[in-house]
Amino acid sequence: MNRRMRRLHRTLGAAIALFVLLVSITGLLLNHSSDLKLDKYYLTWPWLLTHYGVGDVQADAVFLLDQSVISQIGSEIFVDAKPITHIQRPLLGGVSLDEVMVLATDDALILLNSDGEFIERMGAAAGIPPMIQNIGLFHGAPVIQTREGMWRSDFMLDKWEPISLQGISWSLPSPMPKSTQNDLIKYFHGEGVTAEQFLLDVHNGRILGSMGVWLLDILGILLTFLSLTGIWMWLRRPR
Amino acid sequence: MNITNNIFMQMMLIGLLLCSFAVSVFAGSVNQTNEDFIAETFADNIPKSKVVWIKSDLRPAIADILGHEYAGLRIRYWQQAQRTAWILEEIGKESPITFGIVIAKGKVELVKVLAYRESRGGEIQQRAFTRQFTDAKLSEQKLDRHIDGISGATLSVRAMTSVVTLALYLTKFINQIE
Repeated sequence: MNRRMRRLHRTLGAAIALFVLLVSITGLLLNHSSDLKLDKYYLTWPWLLTHYGVGDVQADAVFLLDQSVISQIGSEIFVDAKPITHIQRPLLGGVSLDEVMVLATDDALILLNSDGEFIERMGAAAGIPPMIQNIGLFHGAPVIQTREGMWRSDFMLDKWEPISLQGISWSLPSPMPKSTQNDLIKYFHGEGVTAEQFLLDVHNGRILGSMGVWLLDILGILLTFLSLTGIWMWLRRPR
Repeated sequence: MNITNNIFMQMMLIGLLLCSFAVSVFAGSVNQTNEDFIAETFADNIPKSKVVWIKSDLRPAIADILGHEYAGLRIRYWQQAQRTAWILEEIGKESPITFGIVIAKGKVELVKVLAYRESRGGEIQQRAFTRQFTDAKLSEQKLDRHIDGISGATLSVRAMTSVVTLALYLTKFINQIE
């Protein structure tokens, strides 16, 4: 009986040794989390960020104006990674005038200054031709294409004349620059996952979701058995 | 008797579904476009729009009225004789509400909700509610009267009260500088 118990004890011990080591080491590190500044150290491994659901930010539209990256994410307009204003319609394009960036949706022009500050939204009530399809520049003057035709204005943007021109440089979408993408991820999801959070989730099994919690439960039960078999053998030891 | 009860229950359910559909359509509606509001206000004799720049002299007062910084550098308005029309947006709870406001001789002539995008609190669009603002004047950067609230629409009512106060304040400001 004692031999069988010893064999069970050894098998249990070998089976859970790795998990016990993992829990012990993470527990030790967490016990000194503040001293080790684990809450200040951020992990940015791509697979980890993806696992935590903070890996990506998808912009709906991106345009490059001068040195600025203009993007729409949901109903929000960003200049680089700074939120500027809300819009209800998809962003179609943008041009840069003297000191003003002019963005176009199908029903309005959104004006930003060169620092990316929101100036004003100009719609049909302000004289902007409706049903805009694109915006561009012709010799420095803003031009918009609408379903009704082509219109040109000056930097004031309050008077539009119908025109028909060739050689307009229309605004075109761009891919999101990597550095801005990273800044946007930081804006939406913070710096990353703290080492403390990661160790805590490894320690309590939640890194594997609900399955990890069950695994830790099994480990707890096996450790209980290990203790009981150990006590049994100690009590039954030859004196 | 059971059949009658079943039919009654089914009709009640269909009625409830139709009501919820009507409310959801109502909640995200555009009542009037900005340009139609301006055209209606000035009977198609639309004046050229002007802008007031929100500079450092105006910014603190506007922040005080709205309870937060104004998110823009200028505001457009239309003025003819002693009537001034403003189109202002303010977030109720989560989404911007577009208001059309006409100020005449320092008093509110008309307040309209041009677009309401919140999921709840659409009662502020009713004429019975907006009528409370008619003839309201500015009194030390506040309205000269109490506006009755609506249960469940507290933030929308606050947004409307703020933008009407702002329209009165800005009208006074532009009249002083002109």
